[in-house]
Amino acid sequence: MKFLCTDCDTAMKFKDVTRPEQGSVTALFECPDCFTEIAMFLNPSETQMLKSLDLKLGGNNEAAQPMQMVRSQLETGKSEAMPNEFSPGMSTGETAEGGKCPFTSAISDAFQEEPEPAEPSGPVWTVEALERLERIPAFVRPMAKMGIESFAKDNGHDEITAEVMDAARGNFPAQF
Amino acid sequence: MKTYKELPSDAGSNIIGQVEAQANRVQKRLASVKHTVAIMSGKGGVGKSSLTANLATALTLQGNTVGVVDADINGPTLAKMMGVRNATLEYTPAGVKPAITALGTKLISMDLLLAEDDAPVIWNAHTQKDAFTWRSAMEVGALREFIGDTEWGTLDYLLLDLPPGTDRLPNVAELIPDLGGVVVVTIPSEVSQFIVKKSVTMARDVLKVPIIGVVENMAFYVCQHCGEKEPLFSSDETLDTAFQQDLLGSVPFDPKLARSSDDGTLYLHEYPDAPASKVLMAVAEKVQAFFQSL
Repeated sequence: MKFLCTDCDTAMKFKDVTRPEQGSVTALFECPDCFTEIAMFLNPSETQMLKSLDLKLGGNNEAAQPMQMVRSQLETGKSEAMPNEFSPGMSTGETAEGGKCPFTSAISDAFQEEPEPAEPSGPVWTVEALERLERIPAFVRPMAKMGIESFAKDNGHDEITAEVMDAARGNFPAQF
Repeated sequence: MKTYKELPSDAGSNIIGQVEAQANRVQKRLASVKHTVAIMSGKGGVGKSSLTANLATALTLQGNTVGVVDADINGPTLAKMMGVRNATLEYTPAGVKPAITALGTKLISMDLLLAEDDAPVIWNAHTQKDAFTWRSAMEVGALREFIGDTEWGTLDYLLLDLPPGTDRLPNVAELIPDLGGVVVVTIPSEVSQFIVKKSVTMARDVLKVPIIGVVENMAFYVCQHCGEKEPLFSSDETLDTAFQQDLLGSVPFDPKLARSSDDGTLYLHEYPDAPASKVLMAVAEKVQAFFQSL
């Protein structure tokens, strides 16, 4: 993708990117002549496609870590397989000569999307409900948790109890 | 107003450069691999993974250094078949150290990265809805990293066990432009041969990848009591003439081979005198002869 400032007839430069918000990323571009800025919004599908291709908006100046895409994006992977044990100097060798933008690290981070932190105002889990949640297979647990919390919010429950889980059960194919 | 081609770059993302860097990582890694071989069928359930495991073992027993990529990202079985399911991958600056079998064959498989036995491959995403739009890209990316980021060292052969489907080989050919050749696996049934022919056409005519040969798997059954050969499928179902020309071997069905796969023991090592072992060793010799003749 390329962007043109039609007033100046000048190629715009990448300036900044936001962290994903509900799967969507916003990238800012600026005209180097008149400093006009435009924002490009990537919808969740476009954001996901870039993640899937292991490409970074704004360029990638960082050395690639071994199997970084698989290890950072595999939801059902072993915890020891995740690439949090690397020191910054570790490399597989090749790097892309990306843009010289100082925000590259932020962009890289942006596509290593962390699960969104729970809203403080969200429903509170009782101990009993949490124990029950732990019995759900690990690979579906995050999705089940999100679904139950969403059900609780939609139905006005401030607390997630075993009864709320029972009520939410009808919304999920898996038993818990 | 300037046009697309008149603009000097893509605003600093250098997407083409990033893609080239990914490809360079694979090429750099493959520089120390003499021959790359894809084992494919197009049809599921014909024994591709079993053949890959045994072909890798046979080539190793014949004095070669061998690596295996389990390219079936969603249905990885080779770690179990080759007895390395409990291996822990080690991550180093040079790459990921693969699992190593009792005989020294190296293996990388998605199975070695999954947290639990019953865990499917689920990719991190804002939503799993419409995952069909990006899932294939993730899988090809995973395969690229398996080939390019595994610390293979110097190899005589790198085997890639492809999942079913005629669309799989093009992905591999894209990642490995100099793919050495393919070994095609079929069973005697007409249905299998019907589908496998499509894969052969894809390899030979579309992708221009050399066909090393065809392995007829589960070709017959050897009676354990009298030693007589009996067809496992209808006796009317003979191997297509086109396949016969390229036949590397007809592997008999042997329950012990299936048991070895389940147990993760190496069949060729345990039963070197079994009829299937002799065929598999001969197949490996023909694969070597193919590359020696080039």
